[in-house]
Amino acid sequence: MAAKEQEELTAIGSPDENDKKPSKDPNKKPKKRIYSQRQRNMMSGYLFISPFYLLFAVFGIFPILFSFYLGFFSWDGLGPMEFVGLNNFNIIFNDPLFWKSIYNTIMIGLMGTAPQLIAAILIAFALNSLLIRMKTVFRLAIFLPYVTSIVAVAIVFSVIFSNQESGLVNQAITFFGGDPVTWTRSEWGTKIAISVMVFWRWVGYNTLIYLAGMQSIPNDLYEAARIDGASLRQQIQYITIPMLKPFILFTVFTATIGALQLFAEPQIFQGGARPEGMTVVLYLYRDAFGSNAFGTASAAALVLFFIVIIFSSMNMYFTNKIGRSSKVGVKK
Amino acid sequence: MKKYLKISAFTLAAAALTACGANNEAADNNGADANEGNGNNDNNAANEVDEDLDGAEDAEVEEIGDADAEVELTFWLFGATGYDELAEEYVEENPDVNITFQEIEMEDHHNNLFTALSAGSGAPDLALIEESDIDNYKEAEDRFVDLNELGAEEIADDYLDWSWENAQNVDGDFQFGIPTDIGPTVMYYRQDVFEDAGLPTDPDEVEAEIETWEDYREVGAQVVEETGTPMADNPESVFNAKRDQADESYFNEDDELIIDESPVRAAFFDTAEMTEEDIIGGLGHWTPEWSDGMNTGAYATLLGPAWMQGNLKDNAPDEENWRIAAMPEGAGNWGGSYLTIPDQTEHAEEAYDFASWLLAPEQQLKSYEMMGLFPSTVDTYEMDEFTDSSDDYFGGQNTAEIFAEAAQNVDYVYKGPDYGDVNEEIIEGLFNVYDGVDPEDEWEDIKQRVEQRISR
Repeated sequence: MAAKEQEELTAIGSPDENDKKPSKDPNKKPKKRIYSQRQRNMMSGYLFISPFYLLFAVFGIFPILFSFYLGFFSWDGLGPMEFVGLNNFNIIFNDPLFWKSIYNTIMIGLMGTAPQLIAAILIAFALNSLLIRMKTVFRLAIFLPYVTSIVAVAIVFSVIFSNQESGLVNQAITFFGGDPVTWTRSEWGTKIAISVMVFWRWVGYNTLIYLAGMQSIPNDLYEAARIDGASLRQQIQYITIPMLKPFILFTVFTATIGALQLFAEPQIFQGGARPEGMTVVLYLYRDAFGSNAFGTASAAALVLFFIVIIFSSMNMYFTNKIGRSSKVGVKK
Repeated sequence: MKKYLKISAFTLAAAALTACGANNEAADNNGADANEGNGNNDNNAANEVDEDLDGAEDAEVEEIGDADAEVELTFWLFGATGYDELAEEYVEENPDVNITFQEIEMEDHHNNLFTALSAGSGAPDLALIEESDIDNYKEAEDRFVDLNELGAEEIADDYLDWSWENAQNVDGDFQFGIPTDIGPTVMYYRQDVFEDAGLPTDPDEVEAEIETWEDYREVGAQVVEETGTPMADNPESVFNAKRDQADESYFNEDDELIIDESPVRAAFFDTAEMTEEDIIGGLGHWTPEWSDGMNTGAYATLLGPAWMQGNLKDNAPDEENWRIAAMPEGAGNWGGSYLTIPDQTEHAEEAYDFASWLLAPEQQLKSYEMMGLFPSTVDTYEMDEFTDSSDDYFGGQNTAEIFAEAAQNVDYVYKGPDYGDVNEEIIEGLFNVYDGVDPEDEWEDIKQRVEQRISR
């Protein structure tokens, strides 16, 4: 039975089909044997998976399509919608702040994720090594930031990165002879603080993924390498990283999308929207819920959609390229 | 995709929780009513205050009155109002009405209300709208009941003129809501800092010393020189105070931007100069340092509304140095709410009857005594229970009278739907000046940013 269901599941086509069928289903299911056993199995399969697709249609597909539609209208949420063609795009493309928000998103994304993934590999390697005791404690500890509420994180970090001279980081800087930084309002201060926040929060998640990946690497490889006199660095470089490729690609993929959708950290850290930490999502959120300009906000969302697609397909491209050299492959 | 899943799961969970909450609460209440009458009220109130403190995100739903009543009203609100307790009194006299209260955190409340109004279904019979939000709704007269049609004109005189006008359309012929509480502004000051600076500390003397903004600036310079403490917490406070005293703000009544011609321009540049002279500090509102500053005396004055005393008492419970004086050159208003009736209601008259009862001078006195909501009805200021009060926290000052006087000094100013956007940009600009940007350059920049935002 289980095997059969699996067959059905793999045979499923596009999500749209799945939405429709189950809803018709209950009416057309009298006791008469209209459907063959195979069809009935198929229908029960669809029924079983329908909750997800129904919810996704209501809370996922519909809002996405509706915001595409809204991108071509001017709407304040209460008055009538007015078709304005491409004017919304015209407005946002002529807004220097929109371009700055894209720049900020990419900058903070790079600063927050690149060092984070490298650190995650090293931490995972350390956690995976046979030398460490109390592994569970460390694994738990490194994962803990991930389950902390973003709001709490942002508040704690705003105390650490306080603008005042008495702030923790500013004290450290002045101790070493530097000038205190206005963290929440300076171009680089803000980006650094937010990147650190992202780093701290997500490094544990990626570490665990890498750790899982490393545990799938057979120990014999390391043993053989050690016998051949490979140093620790060489082990990481020639065994761990190549074997981890699919995992690395997965994390780069998710981290990129996550970085492009960065919102809560700058919003709370800066106490609202300021240009230094304005990300694309923050920009469109401010437009929609601050200014009640749902049209331009949707237009910005559409642009973001395409940016995500571009970055994702770039990732895909590199996935395929690198994937050829390694034989391990994970579908994502 | 993951995100949408999360959101949908969360929404469902929230809906389920809310529904459960409603049932439980209703069940509890019915039980209480059946068993006994009045004795339980106090306990209920105590529980609710506790829940307010720790469960900011949860919707709190409570049904007051007979569950089988003919007319069922729903009332969406935020903050600790104590209105549910008053409603107990109301349903006793009007047994054919029951009222379901849904209390939720302020921002969520407004988002929910906006969504329900926009969608055309799901809105309550009665909804509270905060002062800074009400102008967003004024273009949507068709979504609200015009309270004048229900007789609101008759009670208009009970309320402060400016607060009544705030809940009107530009022409003054559509009444969106009835004012609930208000936030008349005063100058809180630290008497210890004033003393160290060689200034008078007695409220009357301080008021005599700081009558104008010019005085404020001179005293500020003296305070900074003698004590090193900035006179004000941040440029936003000072700018807001000056802006709210002006007879014109960011827009004229045709919604044309007038920041270059209105007194707002002078308010910006005065504030910018004081910032450059270090008279004004840089502790942004609601930051941890700002809250802490109430305790440590990080600023000599705090220009704020009546409800700010709650923040002072929370953040600096043992502090004995805060005193209250009138704001230089008159008062303004910061905060407060309006009670509206969305057009989707089927019981507009009953809703209005309850609203006008709830916000009548007698009930506003009770809200003030119970929850500190500052009354918007002038008659309340004359009542003995209101005037006979002194606050030990402020050295025994009769705070109610000071705020009441401030409240009557406020003038109506037209704001307009894009008021909040413009305000955000100006405040951002003032902080940029604090960080060292030239005020003239910043002003030009502000105008560009504002144009960008209001053009969409």
